[in-house]
Amino acid sequence: METFVQGLAMVFNAQTLLVIVAAAVFGLFVGAIPGLTATMAVALLVPITFYMDATPAIAAIVATSAMAIFAGDIPGTYLNIPGTPASAAYVGESYRLARQGRARETLGTNLLCSVFGGLFGTLVLVFVSPSLAEVALNFSSFEYFWLALLGLSCSIFIAIGSRLKAFLSLTVGLLLSTVGLDMMSGAPRFTFGVPDLMAGVNFIPVMIGMFALNEIMLFYGSRNEARSVPAMAKDSVFRQAPATLRRYWRNMLRGSALGTLIGALPGAGADIAAWIAYALGKSRSKEKEKYGSGHIEGIVDASSANNSGISGAWVPALVFGIPGDTITAIVIGVLYMKGMNPGPTIFMNGGSQVYALFTVFFIANLMMLPLGYLAIRASKVFILTPRKMLMPVIFTFCIVGAFAINNSVTDIWIMLIIGLVAFVLARNDFPMAPAILGLVLGGTLENSFMSSMLKSGGDLLAFFERPISAALGALVILIWLLPTLIKHIRRLRRPAATTAGDER
Amino acid sequence: MRDFLLGLVFAIGGGVVIAVAQTYPTMPSLQYGPSLFPSLIGGGMLIGGALLALSQVRVLVARRHAPGDPGLSRYDYRGLALSLVPCALIVFYILAAETLGAGLCMLLSMWLLMLMRGARWWLALGVALVVSLIVTLLFSRYLLIPLPEGTLLPQSLAWIG
Repeated sequence: METFVQGLAMVFNAQTLLVIVAAAVFGLFVGAIPGLTATMAVALLVPITFYMDATPAIAAIVATSAMAIFAGDIPGTYLNIPGTPASAAYVGESYRLARQGRARETLGTNLLCSVFGGLFGTLVLVFVSPSLAEVALNFSSFEYFWLALLGLSCSIFIAIGSRLKAFLSLTVGLLLSTVGLDMMSGAPRFTFGVPDLMAGVNFIPVMIGMFALNEIMLFYGSRNEARSVPAMAKDSVFRQAPATLRRYWRNMLRGSALGTLIGALPGAGADIAAWIAYALGKSRSKEKEKYGSGHIEGIVDASSANNSGISGAWVPALVFGIPGDTITAIVIGVLYMKGMNPGPTIFMNGGSQVYALFTVFFIANLMMLPLGYLAIRASKVFILTPRKMLMPVIFTFCIVGAFAINNSVTDIWIMLIIGLVAFVLARNDFPMAPAILGLVLGGTLENSFMSSMLKSGGDLLAFFERPISAALGALVILIWLLPTLIKHIRRLRRPAATTAGDER
Repeated sequence: MRDFLLGLVFAIGGGVVIAVAQTYPTMPSLQYGPSLFPSLIGGGMLIGGALLALSQVRVLVARRHAPGDPGLSRYDYRGLALSLVPCALIVFYILAAETLGAGLCMLLSMWLLMLMRGARWWLALGVALVVSLIVTLLFSRYLLIPLPEGTLLPQSLAWIG
């Protein structure tokens, strides 16, 4: 109880609350401007959180990401351009609703679903992660090896598009994680004689390069800036909401549960959660034929799912140190910098810190309600903010942000090189999430493997000798075999049908 | 075509990684040394890249018989050149910030980027000026980050840093 009160005190002070509001407004802007993603917002925020205490720093990230995911719906509804990839699944639906003059009603429903989804994911986080942590306390290097491998495998098999490209993207991240002094022997690897690389590739410049510089380059490579200002709707934001939510509460619950689960799977974030929730909602709906023609039910599932995914991703990140999505991948880096090392012990040692973190989640999600309402009323501002003025400003923040982590020019070079690589890969449909996961989990994977081998004297079978380790190992192997199995089952079911390869 | 080239790049890169990894010291007491993971990753890049390139060979062969090849011919070189401008400006910042100062470099880069997309010159200049002042003040005064002040205008702009 005492730690709980301490935790509350860490949140309910002027500084933290102010940070939450400011971060939410920042998230609102970034999310509402197409081409700027929630991950980018967080990556740009990190250099600033670096100079805050742990609680406000985490509060800023939580508030920014939650708000950005909701705000992505605003340009989606008015312009048919998703503000963040997480809104892409249902822009068609919400844009058609807007053209029927129901833009504000749609956004109001989006907002309520987002808040509900965020709170649902938070409840799961609060209740599931401490008990998971108790299980995780018994884990040794063997289990962590499998967990890391499981995370990496998930990131490939959940990826949208070619699995081969996802795998290659993963190797880029893994390769980056090996840069620096080897943990076991102290031999420098891939440092090219640069002293700054001895400690490894710094995480934040990589993130900024991958998610911000890459987007800036894509923007300057494209041409269309023309954007017509649509007639703004004047309908009521919340008047229809109670009826809609009463009618579709099952969708909200289902979307939130699905979103939390998908968010918790490594490599799959809010965007994939929204796509799957939309597809599931459509297949289970009684009015399937209305989907795609501006049907409010179509946005309920997915809009709940993307925000619950944001919260759900924190479960594996906090308990195992394995990020559930690209945002928590950044968060893990921040947690280490703040001395809150993720892992089961965080629930034992830092009791009040954890309570503070949970409280932050509730506040950030509840604060979405008033701020989101204002944002819906003032949608015009976000839609009219011209990207040609904004992108250069973000460009400046990229340089200064990369520099600020270590005050080192090497980090600007790293950002530049990674940005170029990410640009080439992203333009050729390589997914970015596996690369980030590879970078975050590469160290865990290698270190847990090496220390396991040290314990067992080089016996690889030791990975299957402990019960949980064996089960996790079996799961990993099952995931690897799954595509082949599915292909065979399909072939058995439809012997005559042509077997189209799943590589696009 | 681009996938074919990328596959080749990955495959060659993987080979280089494996070769470099073999130079790392082995430890007599351990079966697995610092070269194990880089070699595995290199192997993955080699095989994955080769598979990607090979899968494109089939596509390319099939396409050769089809007229109207939308391969490299219609590639948007102008767009590619424009998207490299921000990178060039970062190199400019790295090279010039020690002399010109971070604030001035930011101002020039932002102004240029805004003009590139057709912003009015005075508006762009104004916004770039305000933003670079705010960023310089925020980072060097408030967050105490030693942004390069430059040697060109040390006295007149000293109040910024």
